[in-house]
Amino acid sequence: MRDNNEEKFIFAACTYFAKNHPGETCGSNGLPLTPSSISILGRAQRLLTIQHPNLCTYLDIIRGKHERIIVVTEVFGKSLEEWKSKFSFDEVTNIGLQISKAMLFLHKQDIVHRTLADGNILLDGSGRVKLFNYGMYYMTGGGSDVPFPLGLPRYLSPETILNGGGPAADIWTFGIILLELCIGKLWQNLKPGPILRRILTLVHAANPAERIAREHDCFEAYKLVSDHLRNIIEKCLKIYPSERATFEEVVEELSQANVKTVVDVKKPRGLMGCKLQYLYHWWQLTGGDIQAELKKNGLIKNSPPILSMPIAILLDGCTIGGKRGALFDRRIAKYSLDLLKARLSHIPPQDFYPLMHERRRDYDAVALPKIIRERDTEYQFYRLLWFQRLLIGYPYTAQYIRAEAEIDIPPLVRGDVWAALLGVKGDIEEQYERIDKETPTPTDRQIDVDIPRCHQYCWLLCGSAGHRTLKRLLKAWLLTNPQYVYWQGLDSLTAPFLYLNFCNEARAFACLSAFVPKFLHKFFLKDNSAVIKEYLAKFWQMAAFHEPELATHLHEINFVPELFAIPWFLTMFSHVFPLHKIVHLWDALLVEGPALPLFMGVGILRQLKDTLLDSGFNECILLFSDLPEIDIGECVKESIEMCRSSPKSISYRRFTNEPEVKDPMDIVEIPMEVLLSEISPRISMSDFFSLTCQDKCCVVDIRSNLLYEKSCIEGSVNVPYSGVQLGQRDLRALGLNAHRALRHAVTHKNTIVIASAEDETAQLFSDYLVKCNVPRVCILYGGISALQSHVPSLFIVPIKKTGSK
Amino acid sequence: MATNRSGASQRPNGAPQTKVCQFKLVLLGESAVGKSSLVLRFVKGQFHEYQESTIGAAFLTQTVCLDDTTVKFEIWDTAGQERYHSLAPMYYRGAQAAIVVYDITNQDTFGRAKNWVKELQRQASPSIVIALAGNKSDLAAKRMVEFDEAQAYADENGLLFMETSAKTAMNVNDIFLAIANKLPKSEGAGGGSAAGARRLADGEQPRSSACCK
Repeated sequence: MRDNNEEKFIFAACTYFAKNHPGETCGSNGLPLTPSSISILGRAQRLLTIQHPNLCTYLDIIRGKHERIIVVTEVFGKSLEEWKSKFSFDEVTNIGLQISKAMLFLHKQDIVHRTLADGNILLDGSGRVKLFNYGMYYMTGGGSDVPFPLGLPRYLSPETILNGGGPAADIWTFGIILLELCIGKLWQNLKPGPILRRILTLVHAANPAERIAREHDCFEAYKLVSDHLRNIIEKCLKIYPSERATFEEVVEELSQANVKTVVDVKKPRGLMGCKLQYLYHWWQLTGGDIQAELKKNGLIKNSPPILSMPIAILLDGCTIGGKRGALFDRRIAKYSLDLLKARLSHIPPQDFYPLMHERRRDYDAVALPKIIRERDTEYQFYRLLWFQRLLIGYPYTAQYIRAEAEIDIPPLVRGDVWAALLGVKGDIEEQYERIDKETPTPTDRQIDVDIPRCHQYCWLLCGSAGHRTLKRLLKAWLLTNPQYVYWQGLDSLTAPFLYLNFCNEARAFACLSAFVPKFLHKFFLKDNSAVIKEYLAKFWQMAAFHEPELATHLHEINFVPELFAIPWFLTMFSHVFPLHKIVHLWDALLVEGPALPLFMGVGILRQLKDTLLDSGFNECILLFSDLPEIDIGECVKESIEMCRSSPKSISYRRFTNEPEVKDPMDIVEIPMEVLLSEISPRISMSDFFSLTCQDKCCVVDIRSNLLYEKSCIEGSVNVPYSGVQLGQRDLRALGLNAHRALRHAVTHKNTIVIASAEDETAQLFSDYLVKCNVPRVCILYGGISALQSHVPSLFIVPIKKTGSK
Repeated sequence: MATNRSGASQRPNGAPQTKVCQFKLVLLGESAVGKSSLVLRFVKGQFHEYQESTIGAAFLTQTVCLDDTTVKFEIWDTAGQERYHSLAPMYYRGAQAAIVVYDITNQDTFGRAKNWVKELQRQASPSIVIALAGNKSDLAAKRMVEFDEAQAYADENGLLFMETSAKTAMNVNDIFLAIANKLPKSEGAGGGSAAGARRLADGEQPRSSACCK
């Protein structure tokens, strides 16, 4: 690894305060005004996605205390301000070309720089140039969110000083910078006021560049500048913005003259070759602390609060006096990666380039909870590199991604991985672009009142950028799904996708569009009562299947899922939990598929089991109105376990997007009325067959003795229904054989399948078993007769009346 | 702690034979008028600027003390969106009291409130005590519904009426107290309402069959 001084610092931070809202703290709608820092944060998200060889990548925007904003970005080389040597005209051309390329790129993205200055143009020894913190004007809403003026006086164009100006102001600044590179710093010993006056007097000059040179007694030097370069400078320094050149023209002209091409620096290998965002992430995990470094360098100073108190407060709330962060602090704190390098020094070089066919499985950390794994530097190092490789290969690597996501998903690439898990591909931008997201609709009012209360603790979602995007997403989804309507809760459902794809609206939309048919098919129909009823009934059956004691109790106090579980499933828990929990829940959901939510519901009940068992109706409903803390890691783990250990057919629902079941062996569909009245689910014959083959089930045949003796399923126990006393909740009452068989099944976690001649008795008997606290009870679909005709090989004639086991 | 402050002082010292009555109360009204905020203010003395929307319904209880009786409210806070309308009967059936809420800065929500009153008069128990609450009175500068207009409407229909503000707590306890005062506390209102709460969970939902339409 090369380790020269220039590479030592790879990112830097600067900090400033956002403006406080004077006076009013509430908007006209009664809600608090969005703090300026939140608005800045929202806008700055777009900057984080910008990649250009001549722009320093933005890495992070942090919101500190008291409206403090900390900007973390890539850094390299030295700023032009720090380079004391004079540049040759070739070098100036080269620098100018790179600056103008970067500026052209920004202008194409509709970003105006406005603060371009020698202090934020970075140059390294090999002649590469990058602009640093070019997004101040953009992220602060044109400076409206900060209490200080933006830009250095000597670089301001005349129209900017007069409070106007658009992108062409950047061209002026660029001209001044070229001029400075040629004839030296301008107006060096003047205070801001006189500088501004000097610039304004240029308005009368025919050739401002010449005039400036004369003012500085540099006219001779200026004349020595190559014609070509001078020509460009003069084209930039036109008084009227409309007469100035554009960066497109500048780039073209400079490219013609550029003799020196920048040496292509070979991408470093090993750690320094990793994505900057990853390095920053790992550095933070190693204990890197941006704020601490800022404090150490004196960029964050804590002064006693009394010093910042205003001297007077007017009746309208405006304050006078008190210390304010007056001007923009242009200092930056640079960070080295030493900490991270030391932490990862033992990693062999080949590990930086994982091969897909060598799947690494032996992470030590896998046994730890996900939240801890997410904070482990080395673990995240391996996982990120691995996922990066897989994601590059998507969609061809879809199955690998799924397999890895089953273990866990690195937070940094969660948005990408979710999109992959949901099968998002193709030109989603184009598709999203086509949708009309602006035309008002009658649903708008409802959306407008819901969005300002949807996950508003999240800084991203509570700003106006978040609000606008969420509204567009909802409108786009409603428009493309005319069969559906807006149900309250759809906003919460969309929020996680927006949160993870804040700057990639199209992908957020594509994810939502793929998510709903998979997990919430038909839930947003205008009349969704049947869908919800079925879902809740299935949920209740799963509860009885895995938690019979709890289910019995809740049945007895008439505590039905309609009272509490509708928001759970309608929003896939996104209305119930905060985002940091939802992401873990959905990580599992996206991997396991649409049956999992039912078991997640049971998982939540299980965590509250003790309280619920001790509670009556009122206490239970109170508990759910104000849901206590749920351990999501545990809940996910248990629900996956329940989901995988349950025969697939017992969670069958009619309202899904899956292909229709045709094989009679697989059918479990029963009329809705029957479903709603049944406590235990039905199992399909094929599921039953495979359980039998694995010796994982206990069959209770409840036909009469006579029928049983003629022919029965091998290994089944016979408990004639007519002899069962339903009132007696004791398994021993069923006889010694049956009791032993059931106990054995319960301890071995086998599934108990009730086979009968008619459904009604099977239903009553299953209720009875559930009430006796027997888990994993289900009813054989079609009963004995169907099984006899489809799988006759399972049947035998019992040897003796008491001999059968 | 924040509870009871309304009536505790009125309790005659140490009267042992205080009656305890339970009443089921339901909140109805257009979405985002402040139903959940009213309940939260009344039950916990809190106010959340960004109170989440209610899906389905939420349930809370609160006890207030009148002169000789302790009144326990079992409060069902319902979802405001029109689409959840069909769930409402499940909650107002068997309710002894209802608060119909509108937002004084929004005329449409007042219209919706009137519809709720009509529906209650038609469908709910005939003896139900209905209160009309014009919420967000702290935003009086943006008022769209005149106090007199709402008062006149309330008088016509025999409703209790107050303008409230969940944010400033204005009239929040008062409206619940006024309801408590108006409720008949003679016959054994005690266990009756617990059964009422339970009744709504019964499978045999009459008339409107849809549980969530």
